[in-house]
Amino acid sequence: MNHLFSNNIWLIPIYTLSGILLSILWFPGIIKKTGPRPSGYLNILFTVIAWVHSLLALKEIWNQPPEFLSFSWLKLNTLSLSFDIEISTLTVGALVLITTLNLASQIYAIGYLEMDWGWARFFALMGLFEAGMCSLVLCDNLFFSYVILEILTLGTYLLIGYWFNQSLVVTGARDAFLTKRVGDLFLLMGVVALLPLTGTWNFHELEIWTKTAEISPTVANLLCLTLMAGPLGKCAQFPLHLWLDEAMESPVPATILRNSLVVAAGGWVLIKLQPIFALSSLISTAIITVGAITAVGASLIAIAQIDIKRSLSYTVSAYMGLLFIAVGTQQTQTILFVLLTYAISMALLVMSIGSVVLTNITQDLTQYGGLFSRRPITAICYLIGAASLVAFPPLGGFWSLSQINSNLWENYPFLVIIITLVNGLTTFSVIREFCLIFGGKPKEMTVRSPEGLWALILPMTIIMGLAIHTPIILAKLHLLPSLNELNIGVVIALITSTFVGGGISAYLYLNDKISKPIQLKPKALQDFFAYDMYTPELYRITIISLVAFISKIIDWFDRYFVDGFVNLVGFATIFSGESLKYNTTGKAQFYALSIILGLALFILLICFPILPNLL
Amino acid sequence: MTLSLILWLPLIGVLIIGFFPNPVKTNTLRNITTLFIFITLCLSIYLLTQFNLGISKIQFTEYLTWIPQIGLNYSLGVDGLSLPLIFLNGLLTLIAIYSIGEKVERPRLYYALMLLINSGISGALMADNLLFFLIFYELELIPFYLMIAIWGGEKKGYASIKFLLYTAVSGLLVLAAFLGITWFSGSASFDYADINTMALSANTKFILLTLLLIGFGIKIPLVPLHTWLPDSYVEASPATTILLGGILAKLGTYGLIRFGLQLFPDTWKLVAPGLALIGTITVLYGALVAIAQRDIKRMIAYSSIGHMGYILVACAAATELSLLGAVAQMVSHGLILALLFHLVGIIERKTGTRDLDQLNGLMNPIRGLPLTSALLIGAGMASAGIPGLVGFISEFIIFQGSFIIFPIATLICIIASGLTAVYFVILLNRTCFGKLNNKLAYYPQVLLLEKIPAFVLATLILFLGIQPQYLTRWIEPTTDHLIATLTPINVEIAQK
Repeated sequence: MNHLFSNNIWLIPIYTLSGILLSILWFPGIIKKTGPRPSGYLNILFTVIAWVHSLLALKEIWNQPPEFLSFSWLKLNTLSLSFDIEISTLTVGALVLITTLNLASQIYAIGYLEMDWGWARFFALMGLFEAGMCSLVLCDNLFFSYVILEILTLGTYLLIGYWFNQSLVVTGARDAFLTKRVGDLFLLMGVVALLPLTGTWNFHELEIWTKTAEISPTVANLLCLTLMAGPLGKCAQFPLHLWLDEAMESPVPATILRNSLVVAAGGWVLIKLQPIFALSSLISTAIITVGAITAVGASLIAIAQIDIKRSLSYTVSAYMGLLFIAVGTQQTQTILFVLLTYAISMALLVMSIGSVVLTNITQDLTQYGGLFSRRPITAICYLIGAASLVAFPPLGGFWSLSQINSNLWENYPFLVIIITLVNGLTTFSVIREFCLIFGGKPKEMTVRSPEGLWALILPMTIIMGLAIHTPIILAKLHLLPSLNELNIGVVIALITSTFVGGGISAYLYLNDKISKPIQLKPKALQDFFAYDMYTPELYRITIISLVAFISKIIDWFDRYFVDGFVNLVGFATIFSGESLKYNTTGKAQFYALSIILGLALFILLICFPILPNLL
Repeated sequence: MTLSLILWLPLIGVLIIGFFPNPVKTNTLRNITTLFIFITLCLSIYLLTQFNLGISKIQFTEYLTWIPQIGLNYSLGVDGLSLPLIFLNGLLTLIAIYSIGEKVERPRLYYALMLLINSGISGALMADNLLFFLIFYELELIPFYLMIAIWGGEKKGYASIKFLLYTAVSGLLVLAAFLGITWFSGSASFDYADINTMALSANTKFILLTLLLIGFGIKIPLVPLHTWLPDSYVEASPATTILLGGILAKLGTYGLIRFGLQLFPDTWKLVAPGLALIGTITVLYGALVAIAQRDIKRMIAYSSIGHMGYILVACAAATELSLLGAVAQMVSHGLILALLFHLVGIIERKTGTRDLDQLNGLMNPIRGLPLTSALLIGAGMASAGIPGLVGFISEFIIFQGSFIIFPIATLICIIASGLTAVYFVILLNRTCFGKLNNKLAYYPQVLLLEKIPAFVLATLILFLGIQPQYLTRWIEPTTDHLIATLTPINVEIAQK
């Protein structure tokens, strides 16, 4: 069989990278002649090529055994680095998903950034993300996974900082970069520490290594914890989660990609690392705990937000928490399933929210209302996105969540309760947003609100179609769990939680008799969630002030103590010289006296050892 | 012959500039300087192509007996340790010529000094004789002192004297160590090949090595011998700073490896833990102090102190990988630092300030300095160790190489590289991001002649980051050989 496309799969990141290189031309040289748009179209063209390539490759590789390629990158005396690639149905399938969603967001960006001058920069960065994620998915090597994650961290910084003259954007970019960097550096520590033990970074060789590995439990625990920290930051898990909601300051098309896929990139690495995690007894508990705390915490925080995009961003954290739970309980197949359905529905949700925000200027939920009649397409897209995110049969989220819960019921009934709870809370949260935006009566900000440009609506509706058809496609491919695999009781509980959560939410927020905004009693509790459990403040008073304080102290020490000592030596020299110069009086008697005194001192010194004998 | 050309061509240039008939335009002088430096750079590239990667010994040797009575010979040669630095020297001098702006006061002296610096550093790197090395090592001080004292900023007098005193002491200590090495070991000359410290007593070796460490430690510089550096870097013009930080400081680490590690292979293990400790302190200290700075140049100066600390940790660990990383880091740090200072120089010339509290929004595409800001982001990220750029790979090699010997120190260094990101984000957020003050933003255009050096450096940083073997291949044979000579001696001592 001809494997032209799958064997040259490494070209896919190259396409978008060439798009980036060509975008440099628009910076800022020929922008005055052509305007910024051609750079965007060029990048979209490259994404289309990448998309077609990945589709053709998927057709070729379907049901074929995985192939492995390896490109030697750097050979040093005791270290040799090669870029290993895994070409399998799974990785190519992920490529199709990435290129599809990126294509949709780029087309969306045509509409969203219609008047913007920074197209070249924006599309180049979107291309960077696509290239980064495609190579991450293909990459079969821990070292390069780290490298790509780190480059994506830089990409996040630049993409969030896209509208760099707003102060919130600047702080958001800073926080995103630094929080993700913390995670990345832990991962780097793990990467560095792993090699002397294993001698390889190739994921498959690592898996073989783990079977015979004999390392002490402490080392194993520490190693696994550092390796976990990288994905932890990427997936916006507690306690490195606060960057994601600040990242909402970036343009919505970037948010589509970030919320649906970039956060999941961390999850992908986590899945790849799973064999290593088996070495440590502690780590799966740690992963599950982090995931559970984030899932429950973030879904509660999401409900307390009044900013449309922030509310959604905490839902992202919550879902990534579910992903962590699934990784901690070793459900590799299910995780991928969750990732697929999640990515599509989250992309759809962000797209519909974005199209609302664009025309209504405000992001404050309390100023919205009554948009359903004006924006029916957006509303339906939102509803479909929400329904396929949570466990609403027969859409995607229902199947993936049911499968997780059915698998967990035997050994981890507690986690099933948590997942069901999170599902209920998330339904409450997304329906709350829906009701506040689309339900009720129009308000000042929503009186005039037409549907957006074709470039917004087209990708949105296409992704909606995709979301609706996901279960059908999966069923055709025999990837959907059969009903007898599922635990019926657990499934019914899930569905009930969806309807209870959604029902309560709809009742509370559609009912005009209940005064808005709804406040939780006591107010402290409401604030606790509204202000993200005070995490930013916590960081401010602990780690940030600590570093600032230490650096101030050392700076002071450097200025006044180290440098002060040096200057003191210099000053002492000058001072003694200045005072000694008065000796030069010009009087012969004084010179004679000093000669005699000096001689006497000299003789005394020489004679000192024999002085006692003389006396 | 090529080595002598690299050494003497700039000096011929000095003569031509010195005796060029008046009146002479600044541009003419600059073109002459460029021409001579460009030829030396081409010669060093020629050396790179002709360098035999299979040989770990010194190549292209040239030897002339000079003053045999005191053991001083005209003896030149390069190996993988010095060759990349010679290339760097040529490149950075060329960059420095174009990073002071259009107008230079007293151009004749200025360009003559620049050529002298280039020749002097090449001499120190190519010298194959201790005394010959030292002549150049000391000779460097004069042009640098004048460069700071004449073309410096507000406190140039203070900074230049401080620089002179510190580095003169460094030279004296190194001289003392060199004399001790040669005399105590009874070598016939100061040639590297003649010197063998094996016969010396352990105490003598320890004392001599300590002298060397302090001497070169001032040049690198190590905390707490560093206070000359921030003052000199800040007060000197960007061109001087590029040469100071980009290449002169490397003579310190070069000396550490060439003389410390190579001449005292068995004593090295004794001082290594201490060196690793000082290196780690230097890394942390530099990064933390940089966070507190408000002046961009001062911030980068402290960041440079921190980055040199990695090299020390790597030298202390002395594994094949870490030593390779150390030399690679010298080159990559030189490139990145030069780019940073070049860009900061542009920003200072155009906006008139280096103060983080006053700068803002330079990314603005119309009124700001978008290209400079974009490159500054790249340079900052390279320095903070983002993969894909050359800073990452050399730091990574250092980390990986040192981890087996000094795991804790390495982990602290990794944490410190996170702190690097902190101050660079502060710097970039303040200067590049934010809102440009439209009332004040009437900045002059950035000229093409100012852009080209930045492009060249940025391209190299990116290229070597993606294809690091073009950096490591020259270094590897020599460092491998160095470590190979290190190990058997250790074993021998253990057996005794």
